[in-house]
Amino acid sequence: MPDSGAGRLVLLILAAVFAFLYVPIAVLVGLSFNASGLPTAWTGFSTRWYAALLQNGEILGAARNTLIVAAASTAIATLLGTALAVGVELRRRRSRGIEALIFAPMIIPDIVLAIALLSFFSLLRIPMGLHTIVMAHVVFNLAFVCAVVRARLKSFDWSIVEASSDLGASLVTTWVRVVLPVIAPAIVAGALLAFTLSVDEFIIAFFTAGAGRASITLPMQVYAMIRFGVTPEINALATLVMGASLVALALAQRLNRRTLGA
Amino acid sequence: MRPVVEIEGVVRRFGSVTAVDGVSLAIAEGAFFALLGASGSGKTTLLRMLAGFEMPDAGRILLDGADITRTPPNRRPVNLMFQSYALFPHMTVAQNVAYGLEMERRPRAEIRARVAEMLETVQLLPLAGRRPDQLSGGQRQRVALARALVKRPRVLLLDEPLGALDAKLRGQMQLELKRLQHEVGITFIVVTHDQDEALVMADRIAILRAGRLEQVGTPREVYESPATRYAADFIGQMNFLPGHALPGGLRLPDGGLVRVAGEGPVQGEAVAAVRPERIRLGPGENTLTGTVRALAYHGLDLQLQVETPAAAEPVTLRLTAGEAETAPGIGERVTLGWAARDTRIFPA
Amino acid sequence: MRDRGSAFLMAPALAWLAGLMVVPCALVLALAFFRRGLYGGIDWTFTLENLALVFDPLYGGILLNSARIAGLVALIAAVAGYAAAFAIVSRPRHWQPVLLFLAVLPFWSNYLIRTYAWIVLLNREGLIVQAARWLGRDGALPQMLYTEGAVIAGLVYAYLPFVILACYAPLSRLPRDLAEASRDLGGSGFTTFRRITLPLTLPGLAVGAVFVFVLSVGNFVTPALLGGGQFQMVGTLVYAQFLTAGDWPFGAALAMVLMAVMMLLLVAQTWVAERGTGGRRDA
Repeated sequence: MPDSGAGRLVLLILAAVFAFLYVPIAVLVGLSFNASGLPTAWTGFSTRWYAALLQNGEILGAARNTLIVAAASTAIATLLGTALAVGVELRRRRSRGIEALIFAPMIIPDIVLAIALLSFFSLLRIPMGLHTIVMAHVVFNLAFVCAVVRARLKSFDWSIVEASSDLGASLVTTWVRVVLPVIAPAIVAGALLAFTLSVDEFIIAFFTAGAGRASITLPMQVYAMIRFGVTPEINALATLVMGASLVALALAQRLNRRTLGA
Repeated sequence: MRPVVEIEGVVRRFGSVTAVDGVSLAIAEGAFFALLGASGSGKTTLLRMLAGFEMPDAGRILLDGADITRTPPNRRPVNLMFQSYALFPHMTVAQNVAYGLEMERRPRAEIRARVAEMLETVQLLPLAGRRPDQLSGGQRQRVALARALVKRPRVLLLDEPLGALDAKLRGQMQLELKRLQHEVGITFIVVTHDQDEALVMADRIAILRAGRLEQVGTPREVYESPATRYAADFIGQMNFLPGHALPGGLRLPDGGLVRVAGEGPVQGEAVAAVRPERIRLGPGENTLTGTVRALAYHGLDLQLQVETPAAAEPVTLRLTAGEAETAPGIGERVTLGWAARDTRIFPA
Repeated sequence: MRDRGSAFLMAPALAWLAGLMVVPCALVLALAFFRRGLYGGIDWTFTLENLALVFDPLYGGILLNSARIAGLVALIAAVAGYAAAFAIVSRPRHWQPVLLFLAVLPFWSNYLIRTYAWIVLLNREGLIVQAARWLGRDGALPQMLYTEGAVIAGLVYAYLPFVILACYAPLSRLPRDLAEASRDLGGSGFTTFRRITLPLTLPGLAVGAVFVFVLSVGNFVTPALLGGGQFQMVGTLVYAQFLTAGDWPFGAALAMVLMAVMMLLLVAQTWVAERGTGGRRDA
């Protein structure tokens, strides 16, 4: 509407919302480069807290664990989630039960899945560690991979499968040469999403990690540090983690856009 | 009598594109006026300016002599029937139709009575409680019409009113719209790209091209005496024979002469134009000979495409069903003739 | 043949979900009906005491308080998120994806870190206090961190992008000509919003609000970090039963009530969404 009053209100709302969303993050990033590391005063630009981070063995160990968990759970979830997506879309009839089962991991509160898995593992006397975190992360990761791949398959023109077999390709050839290339970007986007979720996931990892430092992941480390108090190193760590998420997100976004042809 | 709508030198630009470029029009009370043009001709932009959804960059729009150029859409006694119908999906048919009256804060009883009366007029009373998604395309179209008409606007604007309907229904609705307009006595301004629709429904047609008026006239005028080559081409079918203009006619490339009655260029490159149904088999004031290349049966008539040495494009003629009995076959040589008064000449 | 291939493809993933989601969830719900063991284990005798305890004035109060806080968070996020989505939709088309992307971007950064950012802002030496001191008004500031307000701010902050996203979709999909039709029929800008735009986009808003409520009511991280040690919500209570108090059956009972509330809300929201718009709508 060419109404300038309403137009100004719209701009005001946008400014307020974006300020609310970005000021806390900006403060954090800014502080991570503050030499004193404290919000009390700006004592000059410095990367010393990043350097300190790289010498912190606990943090590095946690980062390593996080990468192991994320890589393993992403690999399994991508395989299972893609197969699931194709299987569901291939079916002629929709089953409400299966839909609910696939949707559930995305909406069950983390805390409920966390305590459920903790009870399950401990009652079955399964020793907990990185492997149990991986098993747990696959549960929600496969649901997300499946959702991304299904979104692509929804707009997939199944007649090209028929066209391929009409032109003489076998079923396997058709899948390898026609279907997979078309959905490949969605699979990669789904995998990236899964990886990001796994890297960031805290509560379920916290409950299924078992005792001891050996299986502490980065978010668990961050949680411990935050509980301990504000330290300049967290600012630097937070900035790095956000930067990494940003890169992963940008990649996924690019791929997804290409798959949707938009 | 003062026209209901006067459009004075209206211009509307979108970035570097001039959608409407200095259009002036007067539309008489009670008219069924068609704005006809291809896509991009500016007809919809012009309509949206009448409705109040676009502001002209220059020029004025008057309604009953009052300047409404800057009046917001909700304060204009003008209603628009949207191309998509824009029915409110969360309201029933009756609620959709009542909406505009509620905006006028009419008493409940009056609203109920007028809605019922309007639905009766468009024969939708039994469906008053349905939601738009439970209606057929034709029924939705009538709800949209009823919703706009129930407010008794000074002018009803219709944006491609029949565009979403299938061919058969469209034919019925053309006559239905005409009947309805007669019944309610409201001025209709309809935008369409379909020349048949404009010819059948409207009593005046304005042909728009690239934001400018090409011709304004009755359906008969624009069909029989197109003002420009574009108008001649856009309305109905037309044969064009390129050549050199000279006083009283046109010299074809093969040396033949086409005689033209009426005005037109007298020198330079030009085209002679003649309607397919004006051409008969056998010699006339203007005569061409050629070979039949294609025949197309259209039910009421038979179309012949005849290749002649006079033009690169084949000449089309239409034979009535009676004449078709003795029509020549493909490959036969034929003589074509038509009258000078049926021939127009335009600059090339 | 097609269905057999489909079953073969689905089997591994469905088995994974069954084994590591359905069974554990069923198990934890079952735990709610057993007695707590003497030394933190489980005594396998059937009881309804745990469920009764959930509604005991002390714990029932925490439950209600959690619901109240989550309700406030959902309300604030719904209003702000809808306004933001509406503002984005009223910007020129080519700007919208960029604005939406920027609005949702924080959602993709680590939850703990986003929560931590509020500690940095709100704590006694935090940025807000610094700013107030600089303006010479720090004496007027109450304690901000470790309050209910901090928890609400943190939760709204965490989930606002989600509401914006949920509201943007229906708002941008709403055909422009519906609002135009309302204007054309004599509706003012506000009437058009109230009678056309809002009712038609309410399902999206409801989805957003319900999810924010569900995510907030069982939240554990935000109350633990921003609410301080004494602050209790259902999430922290469940956490405590499993990791410190060792009363698993009671924790399970709390989780069960949480799930039930959540299910009820989701079902209600779906039901409202389906009724509110008269079922299917044209694409």
